[in-house]
Amino acid sequence: MTIDAATVQVATSAEARGGGGGARRAARSHRRRGPLASLGLHAALIAASVIAVFPVFWVLVTSFKPDARAVEPTPKLVNQSSLDNYVDVLNGSKGAFLSWFGNSVTIAAMTTVLGLFLAATTGYAVSRFNFPGRRGLMLGFLVIQMFPFAVLIVPLYNILLALGLQGSSIGLVLVYCTTAVPFCTYMLKGYFDTIPREIDEAGRVDGLSPFGVFWRLVLPLARPGLAVTAFYAFLTAWGEVAFASAFLSAADESKTLAVGLQVFVQQNRTEWGHLAAASILVAVPAVVVFYLVQRFLVAGLAAGSVKG
Amino acid sequence: MAEVRYEKASRIFAGSPPVRAVDQLDLEVSDGEFLVLVGPSGSGKSTALRMLAGLEEVDEGGIFIGGRDVTTLAPKQRDIAMVFQSYALYPHMTVAENMGFALKLRGVPKTEIRSKVAEAATMLDLSPYLDRKPRALSGGQRQRVAMGRAIVREPSVFCMDEPLSNLDAKLRVETRANIAALQRRLGTTTIYVTHDQVEAMTMGHRVAVLQGGVLQQCDTPRALYERPANAFVAGFIGSPAMNLKTVPLTDEGAVLGGHTIRLPREVLSVASDEGLREVTLGVRPESMHLVGSDEAGSSMTVELVEELGADAFAYGTIDVNGTPERFVARVDARRPPAMGQQVTVAVHENELHVFHAEDGSRLL
Amino acid sequence: MRGLRRWADRHWYAYAMVLPVVVVVTVLVLYPLAQGVYFSLTNINEGNIANPVLDRPATYDWVGLSNYRKVLSGDTSFGGFWTTLLRTLVWTFSCVVLHYGIGLLLAMLLNREVRLRGLYRVLLILPWAVPAFISAFAWKYLFNADYGLINYALEAVGLPGPVWLGQSDLALVAVIIVNVWLGVPFMMVALLGGLQSIPSDLYEAAEMDGATPWQRFVHVTLPGLRSVSSTVILLGIIWTFNMFPVIYLVTGQNPNTRILITYAFERFFSGASRDYAIASTYGVLILSVLLVFAAAYRRALRSQGEVW
Repeated sequence: MTIDAATVQVATSAEARGGGGGARRAARSHRRRGPLASLGLHAALIAASVIAVFPVFWVLVTSFKPDARAVEPTPKLVNQSSLDNYVDVLNGSKGAFLSWFGNSVTIAAMTTVLGLFLAATTGYAVSRFNFPGRRGLMLGFLVIQMFPFAVLIVPLYNILLALGLQGSSIGLVLVYCTTAVPFCTYMLKGYFDTIPREIDEAGRVDGLSPFGVFWRLVLPLARPGLAVTAFYAFLTAWGEVAFASAFLSAADESKTLAVGLQVFVQQNRTEWGHLAAASILVAVPAVVVFYLVQRFLVAGLAAGSVKG
Repeated sequence: MAEVRYEKASRIFAGSPPVRAVDQLDLEVSDGEFLVLVGPSGSGKSTALRMLAGLEEVDEGGIFIGGRDVTTLAPKQRDIAMVFQSYALYPHMTVAENMGFALKLRGVPKTEIRSKVAEAATMLDLSPYLDRKPRALSGGQRQRVAMGRAIVREPSVFCMDEPLSNLDAKLRVETRANIAALQRRLGTTTIYVTHDQVEAMTMGHRVAVLQGGVLQQCDTPRALYERPANAFVAGFIGSPAMNLKTVPLTDEGAVLGGHTIRLPREVLSVASDEGLREVTLGVRPESMHLVGSDEAGSSMTVELVEELGADAFAYGTIDVNGTPERFVARVDARRPPAMGQQVTVAVHENELHVFHAEDGSRLL
Repeated sequence: MRGLRRWADRHWYAYAMVLPVVVVVTVLVLYPLAQGVYFSLTNINEGNIANPVLDRPATYDWVGLSNYRKVLSGDTSFGGFWTTLLRTLVWTFSCVVLHYGIGLLLAMLLNREVRLRGLYRVLLILPWAVPAFISAFAWKYLFNADYGLINYALEAVGLPGPVWLGQSDLALVAVIIVNVWLGVPFMMVALLGGLQSIPSDLYEAAEMDGATPWQRFVHVTLPGLRSVSSTVILLGIIWTFNMFPVIYLVTGQNPNTRILITYAFERFFSGASRDYAIASTYGVLILSVLLVFAAAYRRALRSQGEVW
């Protein structure tokens, strides 16, 4: 790495760590925009935002309506709206919602932590060490992205059975990690690449082992990248249906939210109001996680995809 | 405190063909010495330093610190501290944490760390900034933190890799003096890498010149200036650079601009023993001076005059064996020649350097 | 011997960091893949697979390439491979073009100095955070022919409200809309990161040279985004090609929205006898198509001097 590149990267990653300070970027548009252009810009952004948010907003609106009102041919924003649907879902009259919720949180959290750990160690090794097999590993990850996992359910089932993990959440977590880790590794490798190697070297001279450098210097500096990776891993596990229904035991209280809700949908095709309420309850944790990491998203993902 | 010894140390980068970034380096640095490694970019100077620090492997030969073979040891086992060009401060730690990190890793008690950090901070005028993060500091302050991080360790060797190159010119000169003074005070063996020959000459007790991974010469600044071992060192040390021209030999010496420059007998006899028809003649700009047009000297056509205040340098062409060659001569700053003027230049014949025309080695 | 020692000394920590991933991936990807390939050469299905619960041994037979012959003949009773492949390509191509186009447009709008930029960004990324099955539910509700808001809006302006999710190509249009809605945020975020990494003095230099906004876009923005684009487009194509939850959850087993992966899953999960053999055959074919594509893509990039 040339020295110039290193110093530039110190600057950019410092900026990224600062949560996106705009000083460097602000230079982009010196010229004043005309009022008409400003109006057009805002109009376009507002239109796009409405399209982005509306489907979810409409589910939210529907979630307060009684089932019968939710299917009226002339939809209204408020129509005998109440919290009844939420009460019904939460008190368990529509399935063991709370235990599903707990299962989902456990599984998603485990996937996030394990996926992050696997992706971070691998990403760091690939970013810093030029070991034989490095290229092959990265190409292998690309190929894994192409895997039609949905049709590998039977072999996966057999493997988990052989390992004694079939029906347990650990097995499911491992499967989720397999699908999430390749992309996470790419992202994190890209992010690690923006952290100057001199930091590692300074740490080595100061008395850290290679693992110490990773744990005490690189990980704390890679927080934006880790945040994005965590988000991605969490989402992979949170909303997934096919694997969860195949690899968890069939008992109602061991289902995840996604599976439970899927069953609920199949059994109660007309209860749109209740479905909407349940959906909102499922979406809330994902949106919360999203909100926590969103300020890191651009910096974290950019590093990953710029470097590929 | 320790002396450092490179014994035929080489670093070979894989590739086809493999590149010998540092080739059979033999170098001894005595205890407490300030040694500067200097050379153009790609000369292997940084690699040589990083081999000492343990950041680059030693593929052949060995490295010893205080008589201990450290060739295969990890950086942390070598008792060295390093100052990086980019400073490599830990962005997520405060100044005090940066400086005390190595001690913390070594398990030094907190109170001791605090007092050592405070001491170093006083030495470097950093006391008011101890609780700041590096990004809230100016370039010069960051540089001092990097120095402080090295000092706090009390290592047996300091490794410094172009620590001044990210500073502006004025600050660089100031810091240069400060580092030299600090080193004298601490008496710690220091290896300092730079591409700037002025830094090398002003800071080092001795200067080692590298080129293409090979050590060209290692000597005091004065000796490098007065007796460069070869044409490369001659051209690299000194500013403006020495005039180095290949000239045909006559019985008495060499002809420059219609004037015969007499070369010492010994040089001519060495040359004739080796059957050389031409040599590389080296004349420092400060070994040339203008004389009256009626006096003996080479005639030069002035093309450009650089006035630096105290000094002035005249750039022009002198005829060498039928072709005009560019020369630089120091001239009196109060009476510089005009551009386009034809002047006569005389050479101090006892300050001449003569090198082998092909391999560049010093003939005398 | 010294060479081996040094080799191990030099690389052991890299391998130690990569090892967990390699183990997980080998166990959960390579082995199932090998088994999947093997299954595609047999007549395995629900009826003859080993069933440890019932303590029944496997009774399926080796059938050689006959599954591939059946599938590649294009026979409609085996999913009409070629028409399905064509539909998959249409689906993939439309989705990725729209993802990229809309994502780039929005990224460029967001890259300007504009008030409320942070808010717009959060709103525009939101669809990414919503679990796929909830998005599917939301859109299914919006597309509903009787009480969906889309037809209500169309009829309000005097247009006919079609049956969106029925047995017609409109269903394909509908799922493409849903998938575009889902996929734009990822592209937008990645491209926004790419835009921010283009140094602003390049724009200033272009402006000095008298480049029009369009010329700046073509000669500065697009080349600056090249490495990001080549990565996200490749990933986008791979992901869309195998995007099964959206189609499956919105339209179910509708032949008009059938792509390779959904058919494989259909074959796998439904029907009286789950036909694992044909599903695996499809899986292998999907992987092969993607591998060939990725190799060609890589070659094309390389011929343009992009190192990847």
